Amino acid sequence: MKLDRRTLLTASLGLAAGASTTALLNRPKYHVTRRQPRSRVAILRAESYSRHLGTILRSGLELFHLDLRGKSVLLKPNLVDYIPGSHINTHPLLVCAAVECFRRLGAKNVLVGEGPGHQRDTELVLLESGFREELRQLKAPFVDLNRDELIVTPLRATYTGMKQLWLPRTALEADFVVSMPKVKTHHWSGVTLSMKNMFGVVPGAKYGWPKNILHWKGIQESILDVCATVPVHFVIADAIVAMEGNGPLSGHPRPLNRIVLADDPVAADATCARIMGLDPTRITHIRVGAEFLGNVSTERIDQLADVVSPPASPFDVVPEFQYLWVTGSAQRVS
Amino acid sequence: MKRQLPGGGWPFSGDTAQTAVEPTALALLALPSSSVRERDAAIGFLIRTQNPNGSWPPFRGDDEGGSGLTGLALYALTCCCVEGTMTSRAVQWLIESRGWESHWPWKWKFRISDRHVRFNPDKFGWPWMVETVSWVVPTAYSILALKHFRGISQQDPVQFRIRRGVEMLYDRICPEGGWNAGNGIVYGFSLAPHPDTTALALLSLLNEPPNDFITTSLGWLERRAETCFAPWSLAWTILALDTFGRPTALLTDRLSSVVDNAEVNDCATLAVVSLALRRATGDNAFRVPHET
Repeated sequence: MKLDRRTLLTASLGLAAGASTTALLNRPKYHVTRRQPRSRVAILRAESYSRHLGTILRSGLELFHLDLRGKSVLLKPNLVDYIPGSHINTHPLLVCAAVECFRRLGAKNVLVGEGPGHQRDTELVLLESGFREELRQLKAPFVDLNRDELIVTPLRATYTGMKQLWLPRTALEADFVVSMPKVKTHHWSGVTLSMKNMFGVVPGAKYGWPKNILHWKGIQESILDVCATVPVHFVIADAIVAMEGNGPLSGHPRPLNRIVLADDPVAADATCARIMGLDPTRITHIRVGAEFLGNVSTERIDQLADVVSPPASPFDVVPEFQYLWVTGSAQRVS
Repeated sequence: MKRQLPGGGWPFSGDTAQTAVEPTALALLALPSSSVRERDAAIGFLIRTQNPNGSWPPFRGDDEGGSGLTGLALYALTCCCVEGTMTSRAVQWLIESRGWESHWPWKWKFRISDRHVRFNPDKFGWPWMVETVSWVVPTAYSILALKHFRGISQQDPVQFRIRRGVEMLYDRICPEGGWNAGNGIVYGFSLAPHPDTTALALLSLLNEPPNDFITTSLGWLERRAETCFAPWSLAWTILALDTFGRPTALLTDRLSSVVDNAEVNDCATLAVVSLALRRATGDNAFRVPHET
């Protein structure tokens, strides 16, 4: 291969920039440590969205022996927008199954809350995606986190350089926060899983639609700061029909027929990445999150149900994120 | 009116006491002129909440950098004939506030390396927050305010910013017509417009010379309205279609029915619903005389 001076210079500058970025991200900037010696993950089989999800979820939650008696639970699904025929949101039947399960586990109250990042009319998304009717039948309250009462909150990590964020009271006061992402690839962050899903607690009423400041401060950095500040206690990830390609809105459905449960968001996201055929250690917020928010190594994750089985071909991603594909994995079939 | 807090403002949620600028400004526009005490209290809240630099924060207690709701606050005040140093400072802030993409380092970033979102950084509007790029809602609110202000006083910088803002809206339009937050095409894929944002953008484009952007967007909004039952979006849709002389009687009936059968807890939504229903009596807060 012949290298000219221009290519060499560009490559050197790229390497230098990459190295400095990595060095910056690798400096510990967290004021809290939530990583446990071991994490637990359960990959459950679920063939479709149906009323049977309650039974599946209940059996999965029993593996974790959660004690939620008297606690307030916030379920944080991923509601982006409603596009007919698209799998962009956490499915309402899964969220409602979770409401019922946590009530059975003795929770004092179970709220569902979300603050969509692009669509200002949260009620429109709830109505058209079927959430409103399902929640009404369960008498489950929904809180629009974009318009909730806000409390200025010091950040417990400073990867963005920001010192504080205004955050919704509902998210800050919940005893037990459950991140319920839709498993998707994402054109800005590589993937959107339980940690990226927490962008939804950042209120539009303060930061706008979209929450553009998080992009300018760095998406990976913002994910780390938000997850350090609003702890995720549990994850229920909707991978029954996931999304690949140009997510989070314009990708293609990719059935995985799985629900991923975990008591650690980093372990959950690492596991989801693996079943997407992506290397979690190449996803910055997962890799850096493993220093203080949870575990990424399979040696520290107890699989309570199915084992991790990579897909026949990895999830399609936009070209900028093809480096996430697990080295040596099967080539993508177009 | 029952939800107005003692300080004169309204919160978003009826369950909290954190007064915010958007529900208060919308409520001020929705209050009938006979509600003198409530209007005065709301005006007083907005006056007290204004930042020293002329902008408004999104809610009381926030920092003083300014927000994309400054245009809405100014519009509500000038619609109530409030004028003076306060409104002049707000106009000056709007003239100086601009999307980050208009500053040359970022302009070149978007021209050269960051081209996945299709937009022209020369056509800029207003951001939600300082040091971020322009988005549709703050731009539409700001254009509304400056056009209305221009009706009071001519200023070249105001004209310049209105033109740039209008160009920005046309630049960010979705391929099928209408607007979402401000990303029409990302990674080569068209993104869908949203009814509320489309309606607000159209309101700010009232009296612009007729063109395909407006016609296509009105057509999209009319079609979208056929299946829209959410009060916030439906109310904004009615206001925009009515402003452009399109029929809205059926939509108004539907809105009445929807809000009769649902508990609307959000004060900003209640205010826009009131504005839309009041329009049935021929009173549209956004059909105001302003120049282009």
